Amino acid sequence: MAKFVHSIKIAGPAGLGIKSGGQLLSKILIAHGFNVRDYNEYPSLVRGGHNTYQTSFSNQEIFAPHYHLDLFFSIRPKHWQEHLKEFTCQTLIFSDETAPLDLKTGIFLNLPLQDLVEQVGNPLVFNTICLGVIAYLYHLEQKICSKLITQQYQKYGDINLAAFNLGYDFAKKNYSAYQKRFSLSKNNPKSPKLLDGNESFGWGFIKGGGNFYAAYPMTPSTGLLHFLAEKQTEHKITVIHPEDEISAANMAAGAVFAGARGGVGTSGGGFALMAETVSFCGIAEIGMVFYLVSRPGPATGMATWTSQADILFVVNSGHGEFPKVVLAPGDHQESFDFGIASLNLAAELQTPVLVLSDKFLAESSANCRDFSKSPSDIRIGKIISNLPQNFLRYRWDTPEGVSSYPLPGTPDGEFLANSYEHDQYGFSTEDPDVANKMLQKRLKKYRLALKLCPKAKLFGNPNAKKLIISWGSTKGPILESLPPGFAFLQIRTLWPIDPKIKKIISQYKKIITIENNQTGQLTQLLKSQFDFHPRHQILKANGRPFFPEELSEKLVKL
Amino acid sequence: MNYKSQITPTWCPGCNNFLVYSALQNAFSALNLPPHKIFIAYDIGCSGNMADFLKTYAAHTLHGRSPAFAVGVKLINPKLTVCVVGGDGGIYGEGLNHLIAAARMDIDINIFVSNNFLYSLTTGQTSPTTPKGAKTKSTPLGTPNEPINPVKLLKSVNPNVFVESLGVADLPKLTETIKSAINHPGFSLVDITQDCIAFGKQLKT
Repeated sequence: MAKFVHSIKIAGPAGLGIKSGGQLLSKILIAHGFNVRDYNEYPSLVRGGHNTYQTSFSNQEIFAPHYHLDLFFSIRPKHWQEHLKEFTCQTLIFSDETAPLDLKTGIFLNLPLQDLVEQVGNPLVFNTICLGVIAYLYHLEQKICSKLITQQYQKYGDINLAAFNLGYDFAKKNYSAYQKRFSLSKNNPKSPKLLDGNESFGWGFIKGGGNFYAAYPMTPSTGLLHFLAEKQTEHKITVIHPEDEISAANMAAGAVFAGARGGVGTSGGGFALMAETVSFCGIAEIGMVFYLVSRPGPATGMATWTSQADILFVVNSGHGEFPKVVLAPGDHQESFDFGIASLNLAAELQTPVLVLSDKFLAESSANCRDFSKSPSDIRIGKIISNLPQNFLRYRWDTPEGVSSYPLPGTPDGEFLANSYEHDQYGFSTEDPDVANKMLQKRLKKYRLALKLCPKAKLFGNPNAKKLIISWGSTKGPILESLPPGFAFLQIRTLWPIDPKIKKIISQYKKIITIENNQTGQLTQLLKSQFDFHPRHQILKANGRPFFPEELSEKLVKL
Repeated sequence: MNYKSQITPTWCPGCNNFLVYSALQNAFSALNLPPHKIFIAYDIGCSGNMADFLKTYAAHTLHGRSPAFAVGVKLINPKLTVCVVGGDGGIYGEGLNHLIAAARMDIDINIFVSNNFLYSLTTGQTSPTTPKGAKTKSTPLGTPNEPINPVKLLKSVNPNVFVESLGVADLPKLTETIKSAINHPGFSLVDITQDCIAFGKQLKT
């Protein structure tokens, strides 16, 4: 039997609490034992426009939001028009208008939101009235709903409770024929916290001992800036919003040089400005983290939409040759894990570590473990306080290319972190032999990186003949749609590429790559490493993520 | 106390950066600052090449970015005496944004600018302080731009900052000014004007 997955979308102009209402719904569903995968869409403006918030939920494991909707709420009339393709013949479409003649698919139900809102006397409760309707249709417990509504709206709790009850009663009177039938396992959810990818990474940053973060606001990475800024006092993090991304990167490089653990967050355009600093951190061996949340480019592109088109840019970022690590979390748990891992790798390798996420993962919420209760995991690498005579900061006769360093302020440890090529003290050199040895020293770090970086993960049928290869946020839709005859290889470290990946791939007859970009950049990257010829590439680059339905449809034909 | 590295300075014989180099060491010594309690962010340029000639905690940063790097260091380790050594090109040109931001922040970093009104390491092009109309290699028809006045600029950004401009020649006065800058609890900048002995002549014609 197909698993129970239902999807509810709320749509309307910005400024009417579409997101807060949607997130409250998800929290209520989680409290009932459901797993949720949310997805929101919004244009780059503050008021008006067309915003949506969607919750897909299941009483079993769910990896991605679905495309087809069960319930759709148009907070203001006509907001359903852009969503016709998401409707099935069973979709209930609620809107405050008479049934439109041109709607071919779905069941249109009049919901007199304006009347109901006027009864409550506050224009900001459209979303909570819808919540009441949903609670009735899905037999949600009013006690749980009331508690969470009060928690979320605090001093506006009463007015929202009134709105909720009004919606609930209206539904009871008018929509009883549409009440849903399903069984609920009333287990306490193992993953009770609703977090998006940015927040998950933020918790990883905290649990990895991160104590310096600089960022210039840029969608879709800004959520991490807000998250850490809000937590800076409690968790002793220096959070700075400087004059531009170049400053953010260089400030963070200075902070890490001085002993901080941390880095910067941005999106593609901001990262372009930081590329020189990536290179600087490479040569000066400064282990800082760059958290990059992709959106479609080129240039300003589509600010509030998703993309995986920065992989080659990130892997090749920074002029010159130096070791770097690029990690790509595929879900919220990995965003958390790689928050920790990136700080530890940066400290242990003393080289830039880049974490590549995207809007779909970073701004979509899901129910997660309570990461605030996870233990800290802090590896500091080779920091020393007792310095030998004639201390060499950039000593090259180390097996893994990583040399010891003192925190600035330590007596007798004075050294120069140099953007010029340098000798073992850090002083500039143009000597060909010294330059060669220094390059070799730094590139040796790749061996250690391969040992420490997250390995590729294999999912699905181990005896399958067909292998899907992908990376990053496509993990969710792929796992949600994976047909029985397929295995799925998730590449979690995009650089350096683990040579073992070649071996894994060679065991499969038919290779399919899936990416949220136009030109198949992962394929290009793998081709640069070994003989690689995927039979099919499934690509999408219109700012929207893959949905499980469209992937299933494509995969079963292969 | 010794602040010198074992590397002999590579500036042109007679370069005014030797005076800045001496004044800095004199000031550090007079203030009893041990080398491990000093951090210097060097910009790119002739002045920034001092990175190899002193031995403190230091970074030879990217061009223009030395103030931003220095702010990062100071935020994490406020006990260090944090300095920036750079030229008019890096501090007033490429990194002007960071200079203004650091002055607004009024964070305790001390910026020492060897201002010779030219880009010198790149063999003599116009800089943000080059007098209007001066003919340089990159402006053979005369630079069309008004020069920056760093004192007026920074005082207008934040009246609380310490900012002084003086000639390089008076070594005791320069040393005292550097000391005052370091002792000032917030942001400070000393604009040290000087002629480039290699390329400065073009400004006189």
